[in-house]
Amino acid sequence: MSHHHDPEFRSESPGLNEFNKKLDRRNFLVKTSLGLGALAAGSLLHGKTCSRQTISESETSPDPEEDILKAIPHLIPKAKRVVYLFMSGGPSQFETFDYKPELMRFAGKDLPNSVRNGQRLTGMSASQSILPMAPSFAKFNKHGQSQTWVSELLPHTAQVVDELCIVKSLYTEAINHDPAITFFQTGNQLPGRPSIGSWISYGLGSDNANLPTFIVLVSKNAPKDQPLYARLWGNGFLPSRHQGVQFRSGKDPVLFLNDPEGYDGPSRKEMLEYLSKLNRLQNDAYHDPEIENRIAQYEMAFRMQTSVPGAVDVSDEPEEVFDLYGPGSRDPGSYAANCILARRLLEKDVKFVQLYHQGWDQHGGLPRGISRQCKDTDQATAALITDLKRRGLLEDTLVIWGGEFGRTVYSQGKLTSDDYGRDHHPRCFTMWMAGAGIKSGFSFGETDDFGYNIIKHPVHVHDFQATLMYLMGIDHERLVYRLQGRRFRLTDVHGKVIREILA
Amino acid sequence: MILLDIFTFFGRFHPLIVHLPIGFILLAIIFASLSHYKRYVFLSRAVPFTLLIGFVSAVTASMLGYMLSLTGDYDGLTLKNHMLGAISLTLLTGILLGIETSVFKKLISIPRRMFSVLSIAAFLLVVYTGHQGANLTHGKDYISMETLFRRPREKPLKAEDAMIFEDVVHPILEDRCMQCHQRSKRKGQLSMESLASILKGGKHGPAVVPGSLAESELFRRITLDAGHEDFMPAEGKTPLTKSQTEIIRWWIEKAMAVEQKKISEITGHQHAVPLVAFLLGLDSHSIGDVQGFAEHEINANIPSGIDMDLVENLRMKGMTVRVMFHKPVMLDVTLPSRSGIKIQDLTNELKPLAMNIVWLNLSDNGLTERDLAILKDMANLQKLRLEKNPISDGISDYLAGLKYLEAVNLNETKITNSCLDSLQQNHAIKRIYVWRTEAARSLLQRQENQSL
Repeated sequence: MSHHHDPEFRSESPGLNEFNKKLDRRNFLVKTSLGLGALAAGSLLHGKTCSRQTISESETSPDPEEDILKAIPHLIPKAKRVVYLFMSGGPSQFETFDYKPELMRFAGKDLPNSVRNGQRLTGMSASQSILPMAPSFAKFNKHGQSQTWVSELLPHTAQVVDELCIVKSLYTEAINHDPAITFFQTGNQLPGRPSIGSWISYGLGSDNANLPTFIVLVSKNAPKDQPLYARLWGNGFLPSRHQGVQFRSGKDPVLFLNDPEGYDGPSRKEMLEYLSKLNRLQNDAYHDPEIENRIAQYEMAFRMQTSVPGAVDVSDEPEEVFDLYGPGSRDPGSYAANCILARRLLEKDVKFVQLYHQGWDQHGGLPRGISRQCKDTDQATAALITDLKRRGLLEDTLVIWGGEFGRTVYSQGKLTSDDYGRDHHPRCFTMWMAGAGIKSGFSFGETDDFGYNIIKHPVHVHDFQATLMYLMGIDHERLVYRLQGRRFRLTDVHGKVIREILA
Repeated sequence: MILLDIFTFFGRFHPLIVHLPIGFILLAIIFASLSHYKRYVFLSRAVPFTLLIGFVSAVTASMLGYMLSLTGDYDGLTLKNHMLGAISLTLLTGILLGIETSVFKKLISIPRRMFSVLSIAAFLLVVYTGHQGANLTHGKDYISMETLFRRPREKPLKAEDAMIFEDVVHPILEDRCMQCHQRSKRKGQLSMESLASILKGGKHGPAVVPGSLAESELFRRITLDAGHEDFMPAEGKTPLTKSQTEIIRWWIEKAMAVEQKKISEITGHQHAVPLVAFLLGLDSHSIGDVQGFAEHEINANIPSGIDMDLVENLRMKGMTVRVMFHKPVMLDVTLPSRSGIKIQDLTNELKPLAMNIVWLNLSDNGLTERDLAILKDMANLQKLRLEKNPISDGISDYLAGLKYLEAVNLNETKITNSCLDSLQQNHAIKRIYVWRTEAARSLLQRQENQSL
């Protein structure tokens, strides 16, 4: 297989002989016929396991992937870490941040066609004979120095509104949960692409070798009407080391941290070393880069045995902290407890912490449903902002709050004096960001009086992703991964940084 | 519309065909003139035939020219003159041809002088019509006395000395826009000849509104998705590069779309200097393939190149080092909390990198200010975290001289009010975190007293 026919060269390098033996004709044919896919993966993924920490060792690497990573950061980063509070289900903008007083005049009236403008509806409300417009049952008040309108359902968030940058003009193309949330998390409506957190892990590496770069926390105290799936924090086609590590929602976020009886650290280390040796043998034979990822994961798990207990043990938190985050915060796995945990992980320089809180999908009985959702999350969300701020962590931490789409101005089902529902609405919805590099006490974008269409500064999902990457020091157009002959990127071929909201 | 498209297609052959009548008519005139001399008398026999192909090609060129004019991209008056000239020339050529043909010659005899006068008229018409045509395609100043005497702008030697509009922005527009948007072509009624005409704009209102990107149609169109209908440059012409759009952004937004102003006279010009230098090919410490804009003023005191082995050494000693930027190298250095590492043991590794460290985190490592003398060397520090260390008021001395220090975290240290007072002497510092310190408690007390 070698191109070198110089006998001296051959005889004097046992490594090469070894390699030749491994790739003799018979072995080569066996391997290629058995695992053409693996071979293809091998050539595609080869050599990308080099971490950011060691870039200087390979200045002259011929690997194009290396060049892509070496150029990062393309820009001076403003944020060092991200905490993304994902409100899964699609929180209504009408009862939270997008105040529409004019709607009172149209209560119960049919949504004019001139406003809907042929927009497709979901199968859930398309057959309704009337689309009666429903103003928010919740009242709004102006808060903070910025005099921002916030719903009475979010009294605590209202207290920190001067820290937030509220974007009221997000829009997406997806109208149902799965594609919409997949779009938000991976930049594509179809499954299979890497999630934002894994892109960041791939692009920026880790700041704390003892903890995963990307950690996921899912609230246990939320209705699970719309499912979440691990692919939302998956690595897609990136090396598997970059996938999000989900902590369990309970007392033991990571299981089996303690060694079983009669088994101590040194023995485990010895076991892992042997395992690693076996894996390396396998690697030598098959050159499958995922074996290296597996070795890395075992090593990470071993380090987590010592790093995780300290990170997740909240017994050293003073009472005042639990009071700040609210009643749920003493119950491990709840949203409030996850917020405290998130702050602790951020303090340890975990780069991307993603919280999910489900249950925002109020097709019917919205007033009751959204009141409960707000009650479960409002105080802890505001507390996280306050806590990060006083600890000086808002300096270099970006906080994001939002769902996958918005909700319709009209009621799905019957509109009564005190009850209504809202269907999915992709044309406009509200998110907020706070912290590193983002304007504070600022609102961006505007929707029309019906809260149906955007009239000023539309922000697409890809624009949001581009901005997030920008704050981390990445030009989203240059963070690419070559696969199947194509340069993939998080924002596909779209996305523009929203400069107007940058501090 | 299909009909118009066919017209456009054929119309575009006009610039090709139009050179035939020019050549043939001139050739006919030359033949006719030379035939006055004995030596060249024989040429007179070639005149009718040359005039014939001149006439036929003139008719063809005129028709194609009319088709091209239907696209509406051309300046009205010049177009009218060109058309009038062309039609007259064609007719005149026809008359000349008629005079010269033998059939006609037999009927009436025309004095030779008459033919010469008409020939001179035809020659003048060729020149006139040709000039009008050239004006249509290349712009009125393509051939003018100005071109002859205009001295090219001297290339500025420093980005600071460059004129923002004349040296930087306008050349970009000239290169990328003015093929279509100029006085005599004015697609969409927009000309980019001068700042005044840009501000005046075209069919869709002003192309540039000083200070407002959102209202500047020009900026909107050059930054759309390339596939968008409104995207400029249109018709698949090469889009502007990112650096070009960035400097235009800066010119509109920050420099209020001025002209006749040097970069150095514009407030906040530091942000634009690296980009201008790049665009003018002046950057000695190249920012290379500049993609974004230097949002921050890049502190010029930060050494641009360092030995990456030094960074590796620091990592070997247990510190976490994040490269925040490559040119110049900016570092974010963290000593892991409760590392048990003594700062004094790191001095040798930290010293050579001190000027490159812009973020530093030494929190929760049992440090007192006596361990922190090295901070004085970190002249370019922007963010410093010292929380959860038994640091007391003396720390302010170490921070007094740091001109770029923006944020200091002194949470859970032993500092008091007097430290805050002395830190306020350093005007660079914008945010000081003092949660859970004596200083915070007395601040709170002070506020309460005031409210009482």
